[in-house]
Amino acid sequence: MVTLTTSDNETFTVDKKVAEKSVLIKNMLEDVGESDQAIPLPNVTASVLKKVLEWCEHHKDDPAPPENEDKDDTRKRTTDISEWDQKFIAVDQEMLFEIILAANYLDIKALLDVGCKTVANMIKGKSPEEIRKLFNIVNDFTPEEEAQIKKENEWAEDR
Amino acid sequence: MDKWTAIEPVKLYDKASSTAASVLSRLSGNAPSRAIFIGPLPPELHLLILDYLPLYDLPAIARSSRAFSRLVRDEKLWERKWKALKIEKYALQEVLNELQNEEEHKPPPPRPGHFAVEEESDLATFTVGGDDEFGDFTEAPPTQSTTGTATETFGQFVNTFNNVALDSQSAVPYITAFPSHHTFRSKFVKAHKAFVGLLPKVVTPPELALSHLFPSPAKSLYKGRVLHLLALFLSPAIEPTRIWSAQKDALNSSIRTFNASLVTAFDTSEEKGEDEGMKEAAWASWEVWDGQGEWEMGKTWMEKRDVFFDSDRWDPLRNLTNNTLHLDPMVVFMTNTMESVRKEGSFAIRIFPPSADILLAVTRRVAADVIGEYITPLLSRAREISIPTYLNATPATFKQAWRLVDSIMDVANPPPEAVITRTQAEDVIFRMFEMFMEDYLTEEISSTKKTLDTACDTWDRKVASHTGLYSPNAPHFLKNPAQVKRNVLASFADVLLLPVQVAATGGTAVAKGISKLTPQQRADKNKPEANGYRTPLADKDDPTAFDLTMADIDNPNEHDQDHDTHPHPTPVPAHVVNGSRASLSLVGSGPGSRSGTPVPGPRPSTPLPSSFDRLELLLSLDVALELIHAVRDSLARVQTFQAYPGTYGYRVRDTFDQLFVLLLQAMGDRHICPAFEKAEEQMKTYKADEHEISTSVAPLLQFFELVHLADTIQSMVQVFFDKELSAHIDRTDFMNDVIREKKRFENSLDDAVASGMNAGTEVLMNQVEHIIWSRTGPREYYPPEGPPLELGPTEGCREAIQCLEMHCKLLKGSTSKDVLEVFYQEVGIRLHGIIQKHLKRQIISLEGGFQVIADLNAYYSFIASLRVQQITQDFSNLKMLGHVFIVSDAKDLAQIVRDVTRYGGSFRPEDVYEFIQRRADWKKIEKTVDKTMYNLSFKDDCIIA
Repeated sequence: MVTLTTSDNETFTVDKKVAEKSVLIKNMLEDVGESDQAIPLPNVTASVLKKVLEWCEHHKDDPAPPENEDKDDTRKRTTDISEWDQKFIAVDQEMLFEIILAANYLDIKALLDVGCKTVANMIKGKSPEEIRKLFNIVNDFTPEEEAQIKKENEWAEDR
Repeated sequence: MDKWTAIEPVKLYDKASSTAASVLSRLSGNAPSRAIFIGPLPPELHLLILDYLPLYDLPAIARSSRAFSRLVRDEKLWERKWKALKIEKYALQEVLNELQNEEEHKPPPPRPGHFAVEEESDLATFTVGGDDEFGDFTEAPPTQSTTGTATETFGQFVNTFNNVALDSQSAVPYITAFPSHHTFRSKFVKAHKAFVGLLPKVVTPPELALSHLFPSPAKSLYKGRVLHLLALFLSPAIEPTRIWSAQKDALNSSIRTFNASLVTAFDTSEEKGEDEGMKEAAWASWEVWDGQGEWEMGKTWMEKRDVFFDSDRWDPLRNLTNNTLHLDPMVVFMTNTMESVRKEGSFAIRIFPPSADILLAVTRRVAADVIGEYITPLLSRAREISIPTYLNATPATFKQAWRLVDSIMDVANPPPEAVITRTQAEDVIFRMFEMFMEDYLTEEISSTKKTLDTACDTWDRKVASHTGLYSPNAPHFLKNPAQVKRNVLASFADVLLLPVQVAATGGTAVAKGISKLTPQQRADKNKPEANGYRTPLADKDDPTAFDLTMADIDNPNEHDQDHDTHPHPTPVPAHVVNGSRASLSLVGSGPGSRSGTPVPGPRPSTPLPSSFDRLELLLSLDVALELIHAVRDSLARVQTFQAYPGTYGYRVRDTFDQLFVLLLQAMGDRHICPAFEKAEEQMKTYKADEHEISTSVAPLLQFFELVHLADTIQSMVQVFFDKELSAHIDRTDFMNDVIREKKRFENSLDDAVASGMNAGTEVLMNQVEHIIWSRTGPREYYPPEGPPLELGPTEGCREAIQCLEMHCKLLKGSTSKDVLEVFYQEVGIRLHGIIQKHLKRQIISLEGGFQVIADLNAYYSFIASLRVQQITQDFSNLKMLGHVFIVSDAKDLAQIVRDVTRYGGSFRPEDVYEFIQRRADWKKIEKTVDKTMYNLSFKDDCIIA
């Protein structure tokens, strides 16, 4: 078993196998060796970690992803997400981004992929204004800049 | 991100650069601070998300904010998109260039109007404003200047500087980010332009599409490559348009049409025998194959090969005529098949593209469909005939099939480089043979197990029925154990060095090997030097090895005469024994060796009860050999598959281990341990007094013989292990099954010897006690007065010592020094007890006292000869005890009794007191002694008090 402490000082005790879905924790355990000391995760809050561990628990028996396989071949339908993962990731936007950040920090590749695919699906077909709303950002372009950027990327548009 | 700082223009756009600087500073830090986040996520994660977006969604993203527009320009993103086109992987750059050139040189009607306009204006801007731009790039890569000096084609120029030109119009410095046209983005943009123009042509009925795509006649290979490029472009990793999936379907049906025409072209060329035409069609077809399922053209071509159709010519069962295995037909079959493979293979290499691996596919198919089909009935028939035939046939056929590897390599090795590696070629055969492996390995183990069991069972039955046990040629170890052992092991090692042939002719070599090892030959070898260490005596009811030894010692002449008069059974020449182990036992039980054999035993001895018959015959070197050879044959067969990779390689090595473990188990648990148990049991039932006085304890002697045998067997196993298995096993790996089993085997052997030895010692000492008891006359130590004493040990003493001496000597050389020492010590301690007990039973006169001393001296010198420190001391103390019987004066006697140091601590005064009670004059001296011993002390006590 492994004990994890979140940024808001909550502790979670989970199976080693579950915790080791996170490459960060796995490496840490390898470096430190077996110990009863809790592993501090200062970048993750309890609510997010709970969610992440839920995912790890469900995927703990998944085979390790093939190392550096020919990536182009493996991602056939890139935006496909398994049914369980779809339900899992059906959370409010804020949580979705938090999960992505946590997955990135904890180095859980598969979860990070799920998160990114979900966001990509949200972006698909949206206008710039809708995208700004999605990410909560402002349009900082000058009109000239905007025209230029539009022109620069026009080739890729599909009409 | 550091790049940004490097190429930041510093002079011109003061006002704007301050804005840019603030943006840049946010990006420059590597620390994951929320400051550089774009919305909720850091840029690198946004990049990951962009990776999953279709191409056509990127412009919207870029327009949402400055930060995003930068992300959309990120090279990492475009590198992945470019890689998805796999231009490098399939060497399609050339075709792509051609497409792009075409695109440049023709008017672009199908494209949206603004594209053309933009292009022109770009060009114009470049020529005007280019110089200004360059001045600002302080750290621009050198490629840029080369481009600037127009070494590339004009067409590329236009594309290259589209973006730069755009930038130059803009007053915003942070988007002047494309210093070189060698970026992945620009490469991708170029390719995209070339493809997009073709896309509308794709979405038409297949036949039309093809003629639209290739209006002018072109080589099929070029067409194939263009189609391949388009297929790569319309991929889920790029998603260039919203309808890419429909476009892809349309493209695929075009490709199918195209491919069908290629197949026709291929067939026509094949009929005409035009290699070039076939080659062109084949390469083009390979180019458009999407990697799903089997490549049709190759598959059809393969299916039409003759080699798959003449299986009727070969009857695999002919290898098993008369139910014996002769692989000559298979040799012919293989030679023929190899010829076909050579022919078809070299053709395949000429016609088909190397990456299609047609050669490998053909050989795989030949292996599975031709050779595999040939072997399957052969093996199943062999199995019906007999298991040994099957076991021999499997490795033999494998070896035949293996020949294909060489012919594959012959074909695959045209300079400059091999098409197939040797590993791949070997893999073909390994894979083909895999389907036979499971059955074979299982059968090998179970058959070996059965063989071992049968050998042990047969032996057990023989032991139980006491028939055919005795082979006169079995070596006896007692006379010269070291020598005999050396001989046995030497010839054993010789046999092991002989190669085992597992080919069709296998079997005879093994038989020869065994016959070489028969004791018969050994006997001949040793006879001259060993003064006939074996006598021709052959009656199994007759005395034991010991008697023979005694005969040798006592009557060498008579014995030699035996040799002269009795024709020793002539050694059976190897070729007669050849192939039949039975002949060995025939020699043993043959009447010739029994009849007319004079019994040389000069010492008449009653036949022992049959249960004591020849303990050493509970074990047999022959059986041990049989076991080892059975396993050795199996190992040799399995060894054929030694190089097997993967799961079956593991299985093969595992089988190796298991076979050896089986051997150890059979040898230890089934052969040696029961033998020792039985021997021990029999020794325990031996009652010394039931037998006529004899200085030998038959069971013990035989037990020693047994120990020698067991020791030899263990050495044989060790030799076998060293020679056959050490190559496969890491000896230092104590977790290895084999090593553990071997340790267990050795331990159980040691245990058996030790417990047997324990029982043996018991028996021996009982015998000794019996001798002393029965051979000592009632007045041995109380001789009638008168005749002067003849000072020598008594008869009982002499015989006891002789008995002990003999047995102690016999053990030498068979067991380790430690065991021997323990044994000696045990003997000494028990003898010590026996003598004390014995003395306490006697009545000893003063004259008899000298007799006692003489006996004790004799015992002492015997014990001293064993050189065991502790018991020697005990016996020297015992020797001192003798003095108490020759001191006539009672007071002196009392002094001696009380002098504890005299006896080195072995005896207390009370103990000695018990001995002097056995004096004939005890009644007379008792009072004086008591007084001297105890009254004196009283007085002393009083004085002190």
